[in-house]
Amino acid sequence: MTDCRAPLGGSHRRPDAMAKATGQTRYVGDMALPGMLHAAIAVSDRASAKILRLDTETARALSGVETVLTATDIPGENQVGVIFPDQPLLVTDRVRMIGDRVALVAARSPEAALTAARSITPDYEDLAGVFDPEQALEQTSPAVHGTSNLLKTFQVLRGESDSDQLDADVVVEARFEVGGQDHAYLEPQACLAVPEGDRITIFASCQCPFYIQQAVARVLAIPLASVRVEQAPTGGAFGGKEDYPSEPAACAAVLAWRSRRPVRLLFPREFDLQVTTKRHPMVVNHRWGANRDGKLVFARVEAVLDGGAYAGLSTVVAERANVSAIGPYAVPNVTVRTRIAYTNNLFGGAYRGFGAPQVSFASEATMDMLAHRLGMDPVEFRRLNVVTPDDPLTCTAQTLAAPQMARLCLDRAVDDADRNQMPRRAPTSWRRGRGVSLVLYGVNLHRGGQFLDRSSAVIILQPDASVIVRVGLTEMGQGNLTAVQTVTAAALGIKPERVQVWQPDTTTVADSGPTVASRGSHASGRAVLDAVERLRKRLDPVAAEMLGCRPEEVELADSCARVSGGGQSIPVRDVAQEMVARRIETISTGWYRSKPREFDEATGMGDAYGSYAMACHVVDVAVDPDLGLVRVEHVAAAHDVGRILHRNAAEGQVEGGVVQAMGWALTEELKMDQGRLLNPSFTDYLIPTSDDAPPVTVALLEDAPGRGPFGAKGLGEPAFIPTAAAIRNAVCAALGTEVNHLPLTPPVIVKALASHHRFKNLIE
Amino acid sequence: MADPLITVDLILNDVQRTFRVPPGRRLLDLIRDDAGLTGTKEGCGAGECGACTILLDGRPVPSCLVLAASCENRTVTTVEGLVHDGKPHPIQEAMVETGGVQCGFCTPGVIMTSAALLENSISDREDQGRRLAGNLCRCTGYEKIFKALEVAGDIDD
Repeated sequence: MTDCRAPLGGSHRRPDAMAKATGQTRYVGDMALPGMLHAAIAVSDRASAKILRLDTETARALSGVETVLTATDIPGENQVGVIFPDQPLLVTDRVRMIGDRVALVAARSPEAALTAARSITPDYEDLAGVFDPEQALEQTSPAVHGTSNLLKTFQVLRGESDSDQLDADVVVEARFEVGGQDHAYLEPQACLAVPEGDRITIFASCQCPFYIQQAVARVLAIPLASVRVEQAPTGGAFGGKEDYPSEPAACAAVLAWRSRRPVRLLFPREFDLQVTTKRHPMVVNHRWGANRDGKLVFARVEAVLDGGAYAGLSTVVAERANVSAIGPYAVPNVTVRTRIAYTNNLFGGAYRGFGAPQVSFASEATMDMLAHRLGMDPVEFRRLNVVTPDDPLTCTAQTLAAPQMARLCLDRAVDDADRNQMPRRAPTSWRRGRGVSLVLYGVNLHRGGQFLDRSSAVIILQPDASVIVRVGLTEMGQGNLTAVQTVTAAALGIKPERVQVWQPDTTTVADSGPTVASRGSHASGRAVLDAVERLRKRLDPVAAEMLGCRPEEVELADSCARVSGGGQSIPVRDVAQEMVARRIETISTGWYRSKPREFDEATGMGDAYGSYAMACHVVDVAVDPDLGLVRVEHVAAAHDVGRILHRNAAEGQVEGGVVQAMGWALTEELKMDQGRLLNPSFTDYLIPTSDDAPPVTVALLEDAPGRGPFGAKGLGEPAFIPTAAAIRNAVCAALGTEVNHLPLTPPVIVKALASHHRFKNLIE
Repeated sequence: MADPLITVDLILNDVQRTFRVPPGRRLLDLIRDDAGLTGTKEGCGAGECGACTILLDGRPVPSCLVLAASCENRTVTTVEGLVHDGKPHPIQEAMVETGGVQCGFCTPGVIMTSAALLENSISDREDQGRRLAGNLCRCTGYEKIFKALEVAGDIDD
């Protein structure tokens, strides 16, 4: 009998790993074509200005330069706004942020292209700009677009709507200033455009090939069917290759279209840091109350996102922030108001957690402040307030399927932190503290984006019973190839290595929406299961005939088709060959779409997400009381994952999410001056190194199945969201003070130490 | 006038090679463009990220900061050069086995530094952490890279 390791929950080798480890994987920068030109973008160095004159003659005359294009050369619409049409591909008369594109260059070498792009310096007349999101919302501020900088407001109104009048035994009023973050994927933005008659192929480092397809069709004014986008192997993304890559792809496409040559565009690192989207900086104001019995009474949250110069995905980010603002706590009276402000800063985009990390930082800090004022232990205070089967509603009054997971994750993470035996790395003179933080994560797209929540798969059974799979969701390091391979293998009862999942390509599957919102495994896995089910309508009757049983008695396992309940067994390969011999169709498509939900946008009440996942992180830190340095010594992370598809890929998501969030919490400061990033390098923008990384104890709880394949739940974002608040709470516990600012850089901590404002216990 | 070309003889992945390069050419470009070995990645071009790490006379260095012309008679090993007779290096096997590879872009550089750590029998995690700190990874949180070093160290022993 053929042996097959049960693939679900195991840790078989990831299919893409060995090619990456031996240097064989070809990222965009490793692809070159004969005659290929190299692109560069001329950008504005002003944050707010009028363009008086744009001269490209100098650039055109430079050696090696083949093509220089401005807005009038764009064949189609000069527009790349992903939701609102507020962002031109190339600006004509007005710049709104540093990095606005003014012209495109293609040259015979990357150096020639960069030199030419730098030589393009329009004459500007500076205009007043606005760089503070709260100020931007004041009537007197200069408008970035139109007449008002208020892009949109989202609300949650539950219980007593006028919660600023509500009272409780203790009330915390706090203001949180939460910084942005750069994705710092190791591979900068990259794409290659190859024109061919009336159509074009784009190879791009990206999360969302279908977004690029739409953007390119729009700027070239050609049908969608004339644009083929193949996702190239992608060297990290984290949201930074969701919306943004459409812009460089549109640039490369226009250059390729005009020059009739292949054009490759690779962002130098400094350029990438200076111009690409960032996690939204946010200001969050709280007024929360609890009674002396420890129960929360009300929560009022006012958040302002710095959207930057263009809308991008800000409205969708705000939508998630809005319904994530309370966490997994049962609060009878909730008012949340989330506003987005246009400013002349770099524009905000998708970034792992999508607005939830910022508001969770605030809510978990407030939970600690309330606990301190009540004289309660922060863990006990959370145990009293988490959602439970008796009180299973989210802040939007959606009923949770498994509210008990909040308490289970909390208890498990606290236990794991207590049991930790890892050596303490910081000197004993440093102060120690522990912090805890929870998250209630809405898996998949919010109701507002649900129209995008569908997914396509194609499987082709080969005569040797190996299987080709195509899905519309992408691998960016998170393990989607592995998840899809695992799901396919499990569903067909074959070994994972017999399944090849090929690169997503817009000509092989239908638009499957974006690979975001921790929906990759969920959406592609469910589509694959549908494709397998449809294939089996043709496979099972053949197998049944060969086995001498009824089609409904056929089961697939251990690379065999067999009669269920034991009995005769034949290799799946024999069945596949028989299907080929009989010329039976061995290709099958699959489709997935989530169920419609009810949600009232005006009150924010209803079913915001299809399902939820919980997580709890408990962090132990050491703080140098003199220099304000923080070392994270251990993180215990407990996650409600539904079902593990691939164990070490799942653990890798959590370990990586924790460390990325640690960077955001402690060192990754975007130093902005009038819209300009002052630290666009890894020397000055510090992401965590191996020397900073704490040991992470990961607990993956499978107690409550989700709606993904075999019960899996999204994990990529909940791995990130709770960490920063837990670090903040740990640092505050170590110092005995309160700091409501991110990142917690040494100057911030030293300042907090100087103020030496002790926890206040208002009850005793 | 074009820069005069400089002749560089070096041993690249066990093979004696000769290249003619402009004086300002980086070793990274020689490796990727002249020798066509694209396994070595450029992540920043400023010696900050470590994605372009190669072994120069056995020591891990970022090849974006090395002038090709300075490599006369030196030995250069890239990620491709760790595979012998189709058999990957123990650290390549271990990175795949433990899940130390996610997006893969930092992986060649991480592997080169790790190979040097193993060669020099650096097995203490603290010490490994400090010495790997020049190789940034944004995906893994480094945990499974440490695990790979542990596994590969056991194979080596």
